[in-house]
Formats: sequence, C-alpha cells, structure tokens
Amino acid sequence: MSAKSAEAWQPSKSDKSERLLQLTCALLFSERGLSKAELFKSIPAYIEAIRGGTSEESLNRMFERDKVDLKNTGIQVFTPNANADSDDIVYVIAEDTFVWPQHTELTAKQLQLLELAAQVWSQASLEADANQALVRLKALGVEPAASDLIGFAPRIETREPAFIPLNEAIQDCVEVTFNYRKPNGEVSKRHVQPWSLHNVDGQWLLQSFDLEQGEVRNFLLRRIVSKVQTVKVNEVESRFTKPSDEKLGQAVTQLQEHIANQVCELKVKQDSQAWFHFHLDDGAGTKSDTVTFNYMDLVLLAEELRDFALDIKVVRPRELNDLIRSGFEKVASAHA
Amino acid sequence: MPKLNSFNGEDRYNFMLALVAYLQNRGSVSVDEAAEHFGLDAKYIRKAVTSINEARATVNEFEEWFFFIDIEALEDEGVLSLISNQVIDDVPRLSTRQASAIAAGLNYLATIPGFSDDADLQKLQELLAAGGSRGINPLIESRPGSAEAGAEVIRRAMISGNQISCEYINQKGERSVRSIEPLRLDPRADGWYLRGYCPLHKEVRNFKLDRMRAIQVLDEPLSAEAKKIEDFEEALYVASATDTAVTVEVQPEGYRLISESKTVSEPVTVDSSTVRAEIMVGHLPNLGKLVSRYGGAAKVIAPAEARAIVKNYALAALGEDTADQIENED
Repeated sequence: MSAKSAEAWQPSKSDKSERLLQLTCALLFSERGLSKAELFKSIPAYIEAIRGGTSEESLNRMFERDKVDLKNTGIQVFTPNANADSDDIVYVIAEDTFVWPQHTELTAKQLQLLELAAQVWSQASLEADANQALVRLKALGVEPAASDLIGFAPRIETREPAFIPLNEAIQDCVEVTFNYRKPNGEVSKRHVQPWSLHNVDGQWLLQSFDLEQGEVRNFLLRRIVSKVQTVKVNEVESRFTKPSDEKLGQAVTQLQEHIANQVCELKVKQDSQAWFHFHLDDGAGTKSDTVTFNYMDLVLLAEELRDFALDIKVVRPRELNDLIRSGFEKVASAHA
Repeated sequence: MPKLNSFNGEDRYNFMLALVAYLQNRGSVSVDEAAEHFGLDAKYIRKAVTSINEARATVNEFEEWFFFIDIEALEDEGVLSLISNQVIDDVPRLSTRQASAIAAGLNYLATIPGFSDDADLQKLQELLAAGGSRGINPLIESRPGSAEAGAEVIRRAMISGNQISCEYINQKGERSVRSIEPLRLDPRADGWYLRGYCPLHKEVRNFKLDRMRAIQVLDEPLSAEAKKIEDFEEALYVASATDTAVTVEVQPEGYRLISESKTVSEPVTVDSSTVRAEIMVGHLPNLGKLVSRYGGAAKVIAPAEARAIVKNYALAALGEDTADQIENED
C-alpha cells in the first residue's frame, strides 16, 4: 500500500477543489438554481476573487472552467431556461447526478473486481479517471474481500500518443483529423468520426466513420503519425450524432469476419522457442509441427513472427514470408 | 489499493465528495479505518476534513455551512463523525470518463482465462453498459500463445502457496528444467509474465509463460525468502550495472521498443514523428531480435558495436534457409 504524504495536500483559499465543492453545494442547496450573478455573490472563492481585483472577464472564464471541471467529473450542470436573458439564466445540478450505481448494492467480491479493473490502468493513460472512479465506489463503504484474485496484476498498455485525444473525442462525439501511414509508407490525412477503441491481440485499433471514404474504417493507433486534432468550424468543434448500438455492433462484426477470413499456417521447428510459444505439446500425445490461426493484419503478424524467424517456415499466405524477409532487409540496410 | 501518486484539484474535489458520502453511508468510523479503506495517509484525511468543514456559501442572504464533521471527536478519539450534511445524500455517479475507464478494465478482465465466465464480472459489465458507458472495448483474439495455457496451473500453485517446476527455454534457445516460486501473474499486451522467486539465483525474476512447458505444482511450499517479497517493480525490464546504454531512433510503429525498455533519459523528438532515446540493454546480443521485429521502424544509432550486432542478426536471418533446418530436424 502506498500512503500519500500529507504535505501534498495544500488547502488554500484559492484551491480549485474547495471552490468546486462550494459551487456544487450551493447549487444543490438552492433547489431552484442560481444565476451567475447570484453565484458570484454567494461563493466565498468568487467573492474573494472579486475583492482581490479580478476582472469580470477573468471571473467569467473561471466560472466557465469550473463548469467544465464539474462536467468532466460527472456532475451535470444544466440551464433549465437557457433561452432567457443572459442575466436570468439559472444553473441547476441535474437530479440524477447522485445515483450510481443505480440503487445496486455491491458485494465485497464485486468491489474487488472493480478495484482490479481500475488497476488495469496503472501507469497507463486512464489511470486518473480509473482512480477517481474507485474512490467514488469506495464511498459505498464496502470492503473488498480477500480472495484468489490476489497475486494477479493484469495491465492495459497505451503507449500510442493518439490514445488519449481519441478517447476524449469518442466520449464527446467530436470529429478528428490525423495523418495515417499505411504499411507501404504512404501517408494521407484522414477526417473521421471516431466511434470506439479496441484492443486486438495487444494492438489498439480505432473504429470510425471515414468522412472522405463515406464508410466505416479501422485505423491502428501505432500508424497515426501526427497529432490527433479536433475539427473546428468557426472556432466551434464539429460534433456528430452518437452512432447507434446497431451500427457499432455491425462494425465489430465486420472486423471479426475480416479476422476469421485471414488464415496463417506455419511449420514449426521442434523444441524451439516458437514450439514453446505456440504450445505445440498441448495436445494429448498427438504431436504436430504445424500451427494454424487467424490474424488481423499481415504486417503486424510479420513483425511478431520475425522473433521466431529461424524456427518457422511459412506455409501460407505466401506474402507473409516476403514481408518477414523484407523487414530484415530494411533492418540490415538501416544498420549498414 | 490505488496508487495516488499525484493528487490534483479534481482528485481532491472528488475525494471530498466521496468522503462525505462514505461517512453518510457508514456512520462514525475511525480515521485509521477510513485511511485504510481509501488507501490514503490519515493526515491526508484530516486535511480533507478541514476543507469539508470550510465549505460554505451565501444563499438567499443566509450564510450556509454545508457540512460539519465533529472536530473534537476527531482530535480526541480519532473518530470521524458527520454531524451535519445539508446537501449530499449519496455517492456521485461515475462520470462518463470514469465509467468508461472502469468498463474497459472489466472488459479486459473478461478476456482473461478464469474470468470469462465470472457471474459477478458479467453483472458489473451490464451495470456499466446500462449507464451508457462505451468507447473502449478489448476484442482480444485468442491466438495460440496469447491465451496462456499454463496460467491456470500457476494460479492453482499460487492459491495453495506451492512452488512449481517447468521446462524453460531462454532467449538463446537453451532448455532447462527449473523450480520457480510463483508470486504474481502479469498478463501484458505481449503475453503473460510470471514474477517468481528463483531459489537458484535467490532473487525475483520475470518468466514469460510462452517459454514454459510441462508446468507442475510441487509439494514444496514457498520459502520464507519468497514470502517476504511484497512489492514488484512495475517495469518488466530492470536495468543492472552490467547493462549497455544504446541510442535508438524509432518511428511510431516502433515506439514499443522504447516504452518496453528502461530508458536513461526522456525521449526527444527528432522530427514530426521520429523519437530518439537511450535505452538500457541487458544482454547486447538480444538487441538483434529486439530491433529486427520492427522491420526498419526502429534503428540503432550508437554504439557501433550494437549497430553491428543488429546488422549481423538481420543478415543471418536472411541467409538462413529455414526450410532446410526443419527438414534436418529429427
């Protein structure tokens, strides 16, 4: 267990966490909601900022940022009379903000599974979100059970810089552009509506609707060679309608069908590393030196199999052998 | 326990909401128990209490203090007792981002042998799906070598606290039969690892499950030395004094080479997508394989000796007629 040092907590009058707490409580307390002018007169942190000479403009910016922070942490602030005169608009916290998990009691084992699910993100990009979620779940007061889940530390890895911006764009339904490099080296700019991220055999894949091609396209995150940029028209982010579950499901089915149609067959040298890797001793006494399996992407497969190049012979597909060899040729010439 | 390495303003705000809800649900509780429950230092909880008690606003001309956690009880008896709470009745629901991180973690667990049929796991997945969480969905194919056959046997040994024996093939292709005291299983993107105490070398080592076969649970229980080990380095590759520093340049397709290695300094950007870094390599002859897999997307810059190793490895791989080798096998 790693205990947090107390020094890291530095509550001060300007601490954002205290301001957010005051704002949340004031809005919850006043059931009819509060206007911006009323909030500026009621929240100690705002009052202090005004007293300290903060301009109206920066105060407004602070309020806008606070609303975004609340939204990001799952507190929904809305305006029931958004069309009213701007001075009369009131802010209210949505009633269903405080109802998770929906009247469900969690058991000790379920909490432990949730804890393990959060730990999957240790040192990966969603660690902060996962930990905040876990803190909330722990507020339910259930103690995780000690069980056979101990001694087990699965980890998701997200090394591609594109992961975080794509995940945010998916959550917010915002169009993005990026440069994508095909295995043949061709780079092109893509403009897509990002739908979902998948991990296929350890590789992150984006499923999206490609606006130029007019169809669903998959992109490997490791082949994105630029920053992922959100698309803006006149300073406003281009949003799209969240795709239906049916459409998302179809995209996954298509990908699965694609994988099911790609078959690779290898002959493996007995008792080599590849022999161990493919578990060729697993059958009850029936030893075979051939292994057959499906794959998603031939170039990725060639990369994996280059590790075992001396222990295998490609039976099919023919191009796989060429790809394995051309990779070695590129390595040899890059280090000549 | 979550490792809260850096608590920012959002995290602190989140924790204060959670602490109030926890005390509301739980009633009076000792500060030590709360600290244990959240995996935080007790001092940290005391500071949060100060901030919570400070929360106030002027609503309809009246100054409202929203909470009161009994300060005397905390100072005298170390007990947290929520006396007054004007606003928060329940735990705030998870934000979309939080829910999607947890849902993705659960989806990932569901792909691991031993979890796929877990009824509790399925129920949690349904709960989160009903909340509209979406976005990250592992879709892991079970290819030979990825769903590790030995994992179940090793887990059995870990639960009963016994050593295992197995046949292990090392990076040079040498096979040996050895005993391992299994401590932790780490499923990772590139396969499963076993963190185990090696009675022979008297230290914790990482064993890749796809290099093991004929795994058996022994009658021998874990040694006292092995039982003492509680913490592991998160990184699988730990540098030692005999390692060589190697400068590499990688394209996005080869970033993995850097992120899987122990780097000496922060990687620097060479151009829009190329990154240069210095990595530590334990056994230099392994570099040929490590770099070759990326088929040109990773390149060794220095030292010259390392470049030569990579070049020779690639040339050897090209020169080998693998077909002949297999036919010559017994």
